[in-house]
Amino acid sequence: MSVVRRGRTLLDGVSLSLEPGALLALVGPNGAGKTTLLRCALGLLTPSHGAVRLGERRLRELSARERAARLAWLPQHGARTEDLSAVDVVQSARYRFDEPAAHSEREARRALERVGVAAVADRPLGTLSGGERQRVSLAGLLAQDAPVLLVDEPANHLDPAQQIDVYRLLGTLWREGRSVMCVTHDVNLLRHLGAPGSVRVAGVARGQLRFECAFSDPELPRQLGELFGVQMRALSIGETRVLIPEPTA
Amino acid sequence: MKGARPLVLACGSLLLAALSLWVGPSLHGAAGDFVLLQLRLPRLLVGGLVGATLGISGAAFQAVFNNALATPSTVGTTAGATLGALLVLALDASGGVLGVSLLTAAAFTGALLTTLLVSGLAASGRLSKNDVLLAGIAVTLAASALASGVQFASDARALVAATQWSLGQLPQVGYRGVLLIGPFAATTLLGLLALGRPLQNLALGEELATTQGVNVPRLRFLVLLVASLGVAACVAWCGPIAFVGLIVPNLVRLLVGPQLRALLPLSFLGGAVFLVICDTVARVALPGRELPVGVITAALGAPALVFLVSRAHRE
Repeated sequence: MSVVRRGRTLLDGVSLSLEPGALLALVGPNGAGKTTLLRCALGLLTPSHGAVRLGERRLRELSARERAARLAWLPQHGARTEDLSAVDVVQSARYRFDEPAAHSEREARRALERVGVAAVADRPLGTLSGGERQRVSLAGLLAQDAPVLLVDEPANHLDPAQQIDVYRLLGTLWREGRSVMCVTHDVNLLRHLGAPGSVRVAGVARGQLRFECAFSDPELPRQLGELFGVQMRALSIGETRVLIPEPTA
Repeated sequence: MKGARPLVLACGSLLLAALSLWVGPSLHGAAGDFVLLQLRLPRLLVGGLVGATLGISGAAFQAVFNNALATPSTVGTTAGATLGALLVLALDASGGVLGVSLLTAAAFTGALLTTLLVSGLAASGRLSKNDVLLAGIAVTLAASALASGVQFASDARALVAATQWSLGQLPQVGYRGVLLIGPFAATTLLGLLALGRPLQNLALGEELATTQGVNVPRLRFLVLLVASLGVAACVAWCGPIAFVGLIVPNLVRLLVGPQLRALLPLSFLGGAVFLVICDTVARVALPGRELPVGVITAALGAPALVFLVSRAHRE
């Protein structure tokens, strides 16, 4: 699909698929079109050419509720509220279910418990730390209970411990059978998802898909280097491979 | 304790409103019964319905625009009603339609036309919430400009009548007002309560709400329409009563928090009590004559809001 807005081409003939149960990391420099791609996949943006398909059906044919039953979104900036409590925020993610409020509140508290922030359930979102807020957002993904998770920069603005936490949680959700598409520009965090052989990486730059390969692919460092316009050095620390960007000579 | 607070507030304020029946010249004998049952009680009921409708609509508008300054008049409802009313006053037209005066019918029509215009724009889905807000302000300004033009062309008697109308007053008309406003107020109450859940999702941001399954353009349209039906009936019957729809939801939010499942019903109740108390003050403040209730709502409500806001920031 392609997206043109106000004469600018944001996405240029990108074709990408997410298989059931797969984890695809979408990487690329700032402004490459990763978030645009995610927003198209969610139906928040309609592509100028091409279409998004969910299995047999076109996304456009689905109602908002039907979409919510299939796709859940973790936005880059989280919920835009300061004064609602964490449990209220997570409870909103249950909207797609026709159920009494008491039931959705129970589910919301369960989700908060699972991501380890049950203790702050009744505090206003504005009083939580960045890491707690991101966990509340993840609890929202759980509560919405969709098979496909579209996640945008989940570790932005978090300290290293929180970043690892968030990626581990995401890895758990994935291993439970959900499909995950995760926008990021920090490839090294992907190893915290677990099972590096089955994580796939797609590189996007200037609105185009540049490559798609496994996270463990030996070619990945070179591909990423070209994508970001740097030299990527690969260091092995025990079993794990860490990529370090260096300026090009 | 936190859960009991809304209940205590609700019961206390209802009691206060009921007591206002006995404020004023003391009542004795058959004449006293007449004043109480045929004058004060229906007026209390109309005041309650109008205040309640303005209160809950204000809360819904503030939620749909995610803006604490939105009011039931934000989409031009009041300006449209004023234009309709002034046209009738200027033309010195009399008569009635379906049992209501021409003035009321024209005000109601004006209110509905402006509302339909703006909510129709909102339903298209191409406008952001700020665009809808701007469209509402533009329609308000246009209708006010036309109304000024009408006033310029009218005679002195029509001008006085227009000023009186625009200050807002609960008319002394027995139970007819209750019957006329009741169905509209009920529609607004039930409709908005039914839309409370998706409205709550909007507080998280429109895009997140969309991905959670909320059809945002349709929700906006429904909220504007359902709320404005009640507001149009109130404004047509009583004139524009300022401040209730702005102040009451903000007061309630400061007292019980931003959760719509508490905020919407308590704004309904709070609006009713607030307007009944204001009307009681309007009734007895000056010996021998009444003040327009719109003067009292602003005079009482504004300081209360300032007080609560300053207290909330200290906490």
